[in-house]
Amino acid sequence: MTRYSIIKLVLIVLIMTTTDISAGGVFPYKVHRVNLNNGFKALLIPMPGSGLVSYYTVVRTGSRDEWEPGKSGFAHFFEHMMFRGTNKYPLYDSVTTTIGADANAYTDDDLTVYHLNFAAEDLDKVMDLESDRFRNLNYPKDQFMTESGAVYGEYRKSVTNPFSVLFEKFQDMAFDKHTYKHTTIGFEADIKDMPNQYEYSLSFYNRYYRPENCVLVIAGDFDPEKVSKMVEDYYSPWKPGYVSPKIEPEPKQTAPREAKIKYDGKTLPLVAIGYKYDAFNVYNKDFMAMLPFADLAFGETSELYKKLVLDEQKVQFVSAGAQTKRDPFPFMIYSRVKAESDMDYVISEIEKTIEHFKNNLVSKEQLDNLKKRMKYQFLMGLDSPESVASVLPMFITLTGDIEVLDEYFIQMMDITPEDIQRAVKKYFVKESRNQVILTGN
Amino acid sequence: MFTRNIKFLSLLLTIVIMSNLSAIDKDRLFLLKTEEPVIVFKVWFNAGSKDDPKGKEGLAALTAALLNEGGTKNFTYSQILEKLYPLAAGYYASVSKENCVYSGSVHRDNLNEYLPLFIGQLHDPGFREEDFNRVKEEAISYLSTSLRYSSDEELGKAVLYNEIYKNTPYGHLSTGTISSLKSITLDDVKQFYKKYFNKSNFALAIGGGFDENLVSKVWDELEKLPEGDLNKGMDILPAAINGLNVVIVEKKTNATAISMGYPIDILRNNPEWYPLALANSWLGEHRNSSSHLYQVIREARGLNYGDYSYIEYYPNGGRLSKPPVNVPLKKHLFEIWIRPVPNETKHFALRAALRELHLLVDEGISYDGFSMTRDFLKKYVLHYAPNTEMRLGYAIDDRYYGVEAPGHLQKFRESMTSVTRDQVNSAIKKYFSPENMVIVFITENAEALKSALVNNTPSPIQYQTPKPESVLEEDKLISSFKLNIKPENVKIIKVEELFN
Repeated sequence: MTRYSIIKLVLIVLIMTTTDISAGGVFPYKVHRVNLNNGFKALLIPMPGSGLVSYYTVVRTGSRDEWEPGKSGFAHFFEHMMFRGTNKYPLYDSVTTTIGADANAYTDDDLTVYHLNFAAEDLDKVMDLESDRFRNLNYPKDQFMTESGAVYGEYRKSVTNPFSVLFEKFQDMAFDKHTYKHTTIGFEADIKDMPNQYEYSLSFYNRYYRPENCVLVIAGDFDPEKVSKMVEDYYSPWKPGYVSPKIEPEPKQTAPREAKIKYDGKTLPLVAIGYKYDAFNVYNKDFMAMLPFADLAFGETSELYKKLVLDEQKVQFVSAGAQTKRDPFPFMIYSRVKAESDMDYVISEIEKTIEHFKNNLVSKEQLDNLKKRMKYQFLMGLDSPESVASVLPMFITLTGDIEVLDEYFIQMMDITPEDIQRAVKKYFVKESRNQVILTGN
Repeated sequence: MFTRNIKFLSLLLTIVIMSNLSAIDKDRLFLLKTEEPVIVFKVWFNAGSKDDPKGKEGLAALTAALLNEGGTKNFTYSQILEKLYPLAAGYYASVSKENCVYSGSVHRDNLNEYLPLFIGQLHDPGFREEDFNRVKEEAISYLSTSLRYSSDEELGKAVLYNEIYKNTPYGHLSTGTISSLKSITLDDVKQFYKKYFNKSNFALAIGGGFDENLVSKVWDELEKLPEGDLNKGMDILPAAINGLNVVIVEKKTNATAISMGYPIDILRNNPEWYPLALANSWLGEHRNSSSHLYQVIREARGLNYGDYSYIEYYPNGGRLSKPPVNVPLKKHLFEIWIRPVPNETKHFALRAALRELHLLVDEGISYDGFSMTRDFLKKYVLHYAPNTEMRLGYAIDDRYYGVEAPGHLQKFRESMTSVTRDQVNSAIKKYFSPENMVIVFITENAEALKSALVNNTPSPIQYQTPKPESVLEEDKLISSFKLNIKPENVKIIKVEELFN
């Protein structure tokens, strides 16, 4: 199946994944857990009647784990190699084709996800196939080298998008030591060198594709007891051996950083502003307060949106994303400005908005509306086995399970206007600020 | 056996018979009742970009944009956003060449608050000058910057569609052109709305956990739309394409996007559609490694990210993994999409794709290819409509194409048990035409490419990585494959000249 990567999800605000706390549970489906002695975990979510099954294997390794120099982009490249077969199934794609499965994968900063949707009657076949490739992947060097061409093709495809150029510069500038310095697709020089990294690819597989570092989610039409036994049979022989990446922590930023870059084509000017804040932690109230803040300050019903997008029509859009990462990342704000001459004005309005939230409390009504919205966004999104399975990988990669969902929403519903004000004052200081402006020809 | 799969009820549209719907025109109503807490609405209007008046191309899309991002008579757009916000609900009008579909979804807890907003936007659009100026500016910006410079793949497809359907009502992008957008006034929008968003010109589909009263209520509200006539549409008669006609859009690029195709005379209500779909799936199933073109160009040679083919119009292919719904045409096209290849391999990649199409037409599909694709589609089609919204979309498309129960997707799957290899090969011979194509390149050094194309200059390829002997041998055949492109059939356009 065609492999692709989610190069950046920074425009997506996390609030899409929330739920009905008042109903007593965050997740409306019963979850059966299978924990194996080798550290492997499976989460089984029966959804009878659909005739379909969604099968997600979450590897808690993404471009964040590319800590060795010259190896940026490798997690994504390796995602491609996982479709290259084993001794038992030398042609992975032909097996999924035969059963009409919809198979694909994606890579992001903190994770790599392999997912298939298929008819329930093929679950045993799929588990055999999937467990086999995670344990016994085997690809020849020439295939490895050829696939690097496809990855370079993917880079070429993405680089025509000005947002890709903006993100690449932003992360490179905002980070000095941490691996978030590069985007998921990687630096072009490293991508060019990928054909020479066959030996390294074997080491990558041996260190990261281990049972302690992977979690399986199966949602759909199946009997959980029967499938629990299948998980045990297929995944127990997998030997542990995970080796943690040696990721250098990012030193505290001490001064604001700015850059201006040119896009080789025409585009309306773009700006990305990011303030460094904390890693994902549901017990960190300041971190949690950033999630509603993103929408309240920069969302479609915010005063800033009304002013810049609707009334003055100075920008095509303005938006923000409270990043939920394993390690600290900036809180991101973006805008596409209609006239380059208005760029300074737009930036000053963004900063004024931040100051406003430092000096004023959000109304309780606004916050309650947001909480209601979060509840229904989540409930409306669960309309198929795939949609249920697909909301979970982020929580899994951050914590190793989805138990944190409960606490996440309890904490979220507990956020007060005072929490938001305090957190904005704490995080939005000039020393933590990063800004990149991109303009076209 | 197919009977094993009878449990896939998800593909069967449940038409609910309701007692008190006697006043409703049943031919214009589609209901799919489920146990889900979400309710989905789709209101189909027979009005699309084909109905844009000459010189006002983009009018249908601007009208729809004002339903999406404009206020009503009672509320500003900003007020509407605030009202929809806590409901986590919205609505969206989407324009294609033939139609406009106004759709929305809501959790049933919030239905009473949502419905007046959903209906109100249709009944009483505000058509404010400030909203109009904003959406018009966005449309112009999309053409002048985003489409021309930010996505060569979408650009290639846009140029292909305009070229294939030129001199027909389909021969412009739904967004229009920069000059046509500039000439559109708010009065034009109001007139378009009045003419086409009328009580005789819609069909309604509702899916999810609704009750009987809701159907009557929504229908009654739609009956309050302005008086007007059913828009019966028009014939679409694109000119036949003779030979290989090349359009080279010249711009600075680090890779070359290629799209090619021709109008095709087959719709879903034709029994030959399913055998042809099997052949096309083998040749180029979208975003899928089972695609033969993908195997030849990406898998064996690593030239790009993917290579696909289509027997129906497939807009937004870069963002979709499965076929879109509600973008029907009276005349579809056959299309091959070669994702960006290194500039130095563009001639080779074109030859590789056309050679494979020639081989398919000359030799037919192999038995293995036929049986593998047949088995693949039997189940893969399940993924085309995984939720209620998509199933509703297929149901109303069935009405457009005149596909009878149990509907297109179910027929598609059923036909995969009965289709024969002979039927597939017969459809290939009848509908695939590698000699007559429009080919679009988005690339630099246009004159050099033109020269190479018209002179059939060999295009040997050098790889950065070792390749098997079988691939290298086949490369010799590909790199000298004759395309017979005449100089007068090659057109070079600067990117700045497009969409003006």
